[in-house]
Amino acid sequence: MEPILKFDRVSKHYPNGVHALKEISFELTEGEFVSVIGPSGSGKSTLLRAVNRLIPISGGTVWLDGQPVSRQRGKKLREQRRKVGMIFQNYNLVYSLSVVQNVLHGRLGYMGGIKGIFGLYSEADKRDALDLLKELGLEEFSYNRAADLSGGQKQRVGIARAVMQNPKLLLCDEPIASLDPSSAKTIMGLLHDMAQKRNIACIVNLHQLDVALTYSTRIIGLSQGEIVFDGPPAQLDDAMIEKIYGTARENLMIGGTANDEKDTADCA
Amino acid sequence: MTLNSNEAAIRLGWRPAKIKRAARIPVKCRQRNRFIPIFLITVAILSVLSLFYLEIDWAKMASRLPDVGIVFWDLAHLDFSNMDLVSSSLIETVSIAVLSLLYSLVLGIVFGMLAARNVFRVPVLSVITQSFFTFLRAVPTPVWVLLMLVCLGMGPEAGVAGLCVHTTAFFTKSFAQSFESIPDETIEALEATGANRLSIFINAILPAALPQIVAWAGMRLETNFSECAILGMVGTGGIGYVISNSLQGYDYGTAGVAILLVFLVAYCIERVFVRIKKKFS
Amino acid sequence: MTKRIPLIAHNLKRLYTGFLIAAVLLFFVCSYLTNFNIMTLFANGDAFWEFITEDFLPPALPKSSRIPGILSSVLVTLALAVSATTVAAVLAFFVSLFGSEKVSPFPKAAKFVRGFATFLRNIPALVWAFILFSSLGIGTGVGFVALCITSFAFMVRAFVETMEDVSQDCVESLQAVGATFPQRVAQAILPSCLSGFLSWFLYCVELNIRASTIVGMVGGGGVGLTLFSYIKGFQYDIALSIILLIAVMVIVVDRITSKLRKELLK
Repeated sequence: MEPILKFDRVSKHYPNGVHALKEISFELTEGEFVSVIGPSGSGKSTLLRAVNRLIPISGGTVWLDGQPVSRQRGKKLREQRRKVGMIFQNYNLVYSLSVVQNVLHGRLGYMGGIKGIFGLYSEADKRDALDLLKELGLEEFSYNRAADLSGGQKQRVGIARAVMQNPKLLLCDEPIASLDPSSAKTIMGLLHDMAQKRNIACIVNLHQLDVALTYSTRIIGLSQGEIVFDGPPAQLDDAMIEKIYGTARENLMIGGTANDEKDTADCA
Repeated sequence: MTLNSNEAAIRLGWRPAKIKRAARIPVKCRQRNRFIPIFLITVAILSVLSLFYLEIDWAKMASRLPDVGIVFWDLAHLDFSNMDLVSSSLIETVSIAVLSLLYSLVLGIVFGMLAARNVFRVPVLSVITQSFFTFLRAVPTPVWVLLMLVCLGMGPEAGVAGLCVHTTAFFTKSFAQSFESIPDETIEALEATGANRLSIFINAILPAALPQIVAWAGMRLETNFSECAILGMVGTGGIGYVISNSLQGYDYGTAGVAILLVFLVAYCIERVFVRIKKKFS
Repeated sequence: MTKRIPLIAHNLKRLYTGFLIAAVLLFFVCSYLTNFNIMTLFANGDAFWEFITEDFLPPALPKSSRIPGILSSVLVTLALAVSATTVAAVLAFFVSLFGSEKVSPFPKAAKFVRGFATFLRNIPALVWAFILFSSLGIGTGVGFVALCITSFAFMVRAFVETMEDVSQDCVESLQAVGATFPQRVAQAILPSCLSGFLSWFLYCVELNIRASTIVGMVGGGGVGLTLFSYIKGFQYDIALSIILLIAVMVIVVDRITSKLRKELLK
């Protein structure tokens, strides 16, 4: 099968001397749900933003849907970007606008000229947006200001906006890092189901190892800008985890959801 | 189905799927600030009316536009031959700005103490002080300087005194605000120890407000310098006098040097202030 | 008992001591440079008091035939401030879009835009007025342009800061969606920053009411010029009435803007 996304020896230096990605190569095909794990500063966020060129890379090529996105600019680049939905840790909604308007922002990449500027969306788009909100259980909030929602609800709007783009690929930048454990579980479930139903490939940056193990079909471990692990969750053993995070697995489980060590500690 | 009933339907919580054939689906918030568009339109209308009222002769101004270019070109030919005059008047201007700031700082703390409602708890005193300084603040500085010139004659005294009026008024208001931001419970706790009002003020309220006072002072120094630079133009000495005098005497080179120096000093003060603010926050 | 017990943290104490020493030093240096002596103020106290009680008080009304002219000069000052601020605000909005690295389509030019605004801002409005007077001649139009220049520069800075505070995240998300620059402006920056922009606009109106009075004094017209002519004509009691009028004008405008600001930020 043709890969949707291909990283070909991609590297990134920041002007301040940080070497965030070091000649990274991997491929991604349809229907995959990939978790990218690694400690802070290992280049997870840079990797994600290199896909739709929110950060320009310094070397190598990123192939998106058979086209070299890292070399495109202007209109071509925007057309590539609309194939890629993105979900952010801080939701990144326009809080003074209504929930529907935020969801409809997903269509802006398809609209040109005056219509896009003034937000004159087609009736079909509006209907899709409302249907999507219904699917996510937010229909009653459709006409509220995005600022009035709770964190989990805001992230659902973020998902709706990304899905509204009709993307081939979803990039999720720590989607649950600002959420409480129960909302986090809901959001991961929704994300997984939406992606499966629509056959969208997913790349998720995660800090929570247990969540990554539960939902992913494949895990990529990053450490200091290099891929140190790339394979199914089952192959991720304790030695590997220690290599990625530089510390033993037990030390990573403080405050995590549903893990044995914590339970015993509570009993003691 | 009319548009109105459609909107009503959504408000009643109708399913979007059922209104598929309806006229238009709204996207905006139900409760949004309707005041903003009204405000924008009013401002636009007022501005257009104002422009007509001012009766500016745009054609004449446009015809003289090339002169602006010539003046700037002349200004750019810096002439350093009067440098001693320019530098001494610049020093005078900076000194007046600093002196008026320092005097006002002391006065502002005293009057701020009187104006703050939580220091002496005499409401009449606060109201009188505040309204008096509101009046002083409402009159632009050059007016005060002009009046001081009349009383005191030419010289730095008029400049310092005139600047002090406005600066003290400004400090009184902002310091009083800072003092009042200290929670009543804190003051209550200190009262419970038996301390008197003045010692509470000096030992608790003033130190707590100190970072804000420094911030206000830095902000005010910027204003004072630019005010001081223009004071010369209404009659006191300093760099403003040099600028207006040499502009009127077609000595553009000297004026250019003076303006450049005013810019540089203002810029330096701004930079230093930004630094200090970062250090304190 | 050679060492006193410190009450506050060492570095903080050093900072405050540094400020105090700097302030005292500056005080003496500046006093020396300007030959300023606060005692001269007290020495002149009598003359001062005489001036206030005899020349200044009570405020007197000018000839009744002059009153409509004075009122219309107040209107000129108000009109000057409002129109100059509005024109400057519209220009500043478009320029400020290019003044932030995170928003501008040409991030490399952002520094130059901000530098230009800094240059315009740090030269006082009155200096601009004088430069323009020498080329365009004296008149209300020049006052208008001079006010425009400084408030434009001021608002560019304020708008850029507001944009960087408020809309950086949503701009990134709309970029990821593939939205064009005008779409990002209209759909993310404008809705999220508009109330912040308007609040700065109102602040600028307040500043410009004062500034337009001053610019008027040197030839821009309006109530400033009227006041100036009465002071130059030694009619201090009438001047006092006009000063009161200016104070009332400024206070009323301040009240209105603070009401409006509350309403806008709701």
